[in-house]
Amino acid sequence: MSTAIRDDYLEKLIESWKKEASPVHSVSYLDQLREDALDRIESLRLPTIRDEEWRFTDISSLRSMPFPRASAAPLPGLDKQAGTFLDETACRLVFVDGQYMSGLSSLADDGSITVCSLSELIGTRASIAERYFGQLADFQENVFVALNTALMHDGVCIVIPAGVSVKVPVHILYVTSRKDVAVYPRCLLIAEPGANVTVVEEYVTLYEGASLTNAVTEMYIRDSACVNHIRVQRESSQAFHIANGSVLVAQSAHYDSVSLALGARISRFDQKIILAGGNAECEVDGLALIAGRQLADTHTFIDHANPHCRSRQLHKCIVDESAHGVFSGKIMVRPHAQQTDARQLNRNLLLSDKARMDTKPQLEIFADDVKCAHGATVGQLDNESLFYLRSRGLTEVAARNLLTYAFGGEVINRVIVPSLKQRLEEYILARTRIG
Amino acid sequence: MSAVLQHLVNQPYKHGFVTDIEADIAPKGLNEDIIRLISSKKNEPEWLLAFRLEAYRKWLDMVEPAWQNVKYPKIDFQDISYYSAPKPKKKLASMDEVDPELLRTFEKLGVPMHERAALAGVAVDVIFDSVSVATTYKEKLAEVGIIFCSISEAVQKYPELIRQYLGTVVPPGDNYYAALNSAVFTDGSFCFIPKGVKCPMDLSTYFRINTEESGQFERTLIIAEEGASVSYLEGCTAPRFDTNQLHAAVVELVALDDADIKYSTVQNWYAGDENGVGGIYNFVTKRGLAKGRNSRISWTQVETGSAITWKYPSCILRGENSVGEFYSVAVTNHHQQADTGTKMIHIGANTRSTIVSKGISAGQSNSSYRGLVRIAPTARNARNYSQCDSMLIGSQCGAHTFPYIQVQNDSAQVEHEASTSKIGEDQLFYFAQRGIGAEEAVSMIINGFCKEVFQQLPLEFAVEATKLLSFKLEGSVG
Repeated sequence: MSTAIRDDYLEKLIESWKKEASPVHSVSYLDQLREDALDRIESLRLPTIRDEEWRFTDISSLRSMPFPRASAAPLPGLDKQAGTFLDETACRLVFVDGQYMSGLSSLADDGSITVCSLSELIGTRASIAERYFGQLADFQENVFVALNTALMHDGVCIVIPAGVSVKVPVHILYVTSRKDVAVYPRCLLIAEPGANVTVVEEYVTLYEGASLTNAVTEMYIRDSACVNHIRVQRESSQAFHIANGSVLVAQSAHYDSVSLALGARISRFDQKIILAGGNAECEVDGLALIAGRQLADTHTFIDHANPHCRSRQLHKCIVDESAHGVFSGKIMVRPHAQQTDARQLNRNLLLSDKARMDTKPQLEIFADDVKCAHGATVGQLDNESLFYLRSRGLTEVAARNLLTYAFGGEVINRVIVPSLKQRLEEYILARTRIG
Repeated sequence: MSAVLQHLVNQPYKHGFVTDIEADIAPKGLNEDIIRLISSKKNEPEWLLAFRLEAYRKWLDMVEPAWQNVKYPKIDFQDISYYSAPKPKKKLASMDEVDPELLRTFEKLGVPMHERAALAGVAVDVIFDSVSVATTYKEKLAEVGIIFCSISEAVQKYPELIRQYLGTVVPPGDNYYAALNSAVFTDGSFCFIPKGVKCPMDLSTYFRINTEESGQFERTLIIAEEGASVSYLEGCTAPRFDTNQLHAAVVELVALDDADIKYSTVQNWYAGDENGVGGIYNFVTKRGLAKGRNSRISWTQVETGSAITWKYPSCILRGENSVGEFYSVAVTNHHQQADTGTKMIHIGANTRSTIVSKGISAGQSNSSYRGLVRIAPTARNARNYSQCDSMLIGSQCGAHTFPYIQVQNDSAQVEHEASTSKIGEDQLFYFAQRGIGAEEAVSMIINGFCKEVFQQLPLEFAVEATKLLSFKLEGSVG
């Protein structure tokens, strides 16, 4: 810990954290992990556009904002804000400024799921922590995962016991309540064999202003379990949102995900899905709806590590005004992953002449008996469709909005929580209702 | 994968490694003195020496690129001799002296008789056909004002044309290997089609009489003036041997208003043995500038040889309504590696581009498609369609696709699609049912897969390429 940290932005972050952190006496698995991550940060630096994975996403403006880690503050009246909680479920986990708030959270009475904070996890079920925590979110090469691991507030661990089907969605709400702070939420989900659950992850800010969210989520979907994951990012248009999600899908397990990037000045979501057992399946969909000077960057990596796995992906971007959409999706088929069936489609809609889209769908295939296909399109609304609608009496603006709405609707339709789906539909309508 | 198929694809390279050049060789290593030596040996004007030196200085500041998906041991650039004046090869007195193995290859590929002799190194003057063909061609071209000669000859005879165009499409500091080439290039072709002339025949490097050996650092420059059109063929289907391991060529095309350049390549250089030892590194920079309105540049390539193929024939579509095309078949077997594709840079309005790329990997080889489609803010109504398909034969090879699509104009339409397939047992069974053996079936499936690209090749080339592909992947059934 004595050598100098090379990157001055990282140095500032670490210094301000050290001032705040209380000295650690007991060395638990978690503390050790923090130490290792801190050590690792010394040899890492903030990525620039010279790094291939960050070529189109310039985060240099983050350098001038070395936000200190937010300290948790109670947040009264959150439940009274409309459109924050979901109608369907009382089962919710609320993070305020990166800190898990058990007081604001509520869990299903039937005890079908176990939720505990990471410090509790270390105290009572250290074996789970050691077996799962930090195993998927590798911080060796990823500075943001390293920062999260080193600076995370106390995270939360959710365990769905074997064979349990959770009836209501689990709503995980990440709230940033102030500006000029950085939050590091952390979540670990384990679906034991045969479990079935729907998880809604939602990121919101309660003000207009700059802040940084650096979130890490790890999910283990064990044999024959099924997880439906909906991720909604609607932070303020000044916010920086950087998230890493890693999912391990075991044998015959199923992972469905829909991620929506609506807010943030710069958002970056790295999603890594490992199909680690035979017959594992995943459906990975996404929609970025951006305007103004927003930048939404989605990187997905689907790793077919075993035979007979299936993956489907549909990612769409609707880019208006001077916004900039980025998509990079890699499908890897490892040697011996025979009978792989992978399909990826990326469709992008540019709505203004200043809008910009960079897309990079990639296939890396090392096995021969596979079905793999990918496609990407960038274009604008179809003139024939516009003409059709106008011939039916719609104004040009109405026709455009309707078509834009329909373009995004394909992804929204895959959201299986009705109230959330309705809210998202209204959001898109509001965004497209211009002029 | 059936044993038959394995056998089919693992047939050894049929020829030894034979080269016999005596040359006046410069000492190994690269420095400004060597570049001055090259320039003075070739009796070049001062500006060209300055061009070379500028490139060399830029090269010194550059680092070898490492982003490509190929692996090779580090090249020692000081261990290469950058100038060797080739002495004419020993002429063979007649076709009887030619290696019978080579003749059989020609037979299989269906290379015309007069070309076989030239390719095998038989002295041209003993082959009646060849002389007449070459002479007639030269006369015909001169009649319409087409200049077609080696680049060294062009530097002496048409310095103003070379000076005007050399390095305008691929600047000396463009990339590591282009800079190296600009500093030390010694050979290559120059072709100039004057205004309004439609070249009456396909131009091919092996009719350029004074070519005995192609250089390690080739430089090709083709210029089509307003309304001109030309179809240029590079390489040939016959296997080519060379002792130089590194090949870093640069090809520049310039198409002015309404001009049309079609550039076809068939590359079958030595690929190394089945354990991946030896073989050519083919690191090429090819770029066409569609400068004028309604101009068109079309690249067609069939890449079957070389241990490593690493090239991206590109089009800069600057003129309004200009068109860029790229058709490619890349076949890799054993330990071959190919990282190839194209760049389509749309700058002008209403520019259109088409990319069709077919990759076939067998053995332990890896082939990658890497492409860039960039629509600049000025390219109103630009249109691109890309398709890249890969076929894998065997479970140890790899196929990769890395397309980059960058769009900064909302009126553009860009489409990309890619798929992967294999030769299935059921397909072979279907053929067998109809009395077609595995070997022929594989060849038919592969040729069907590559049909869209072969259709773009000039006719006799297409026939040869079809055979070449089956030849490359065939073996004896049993």
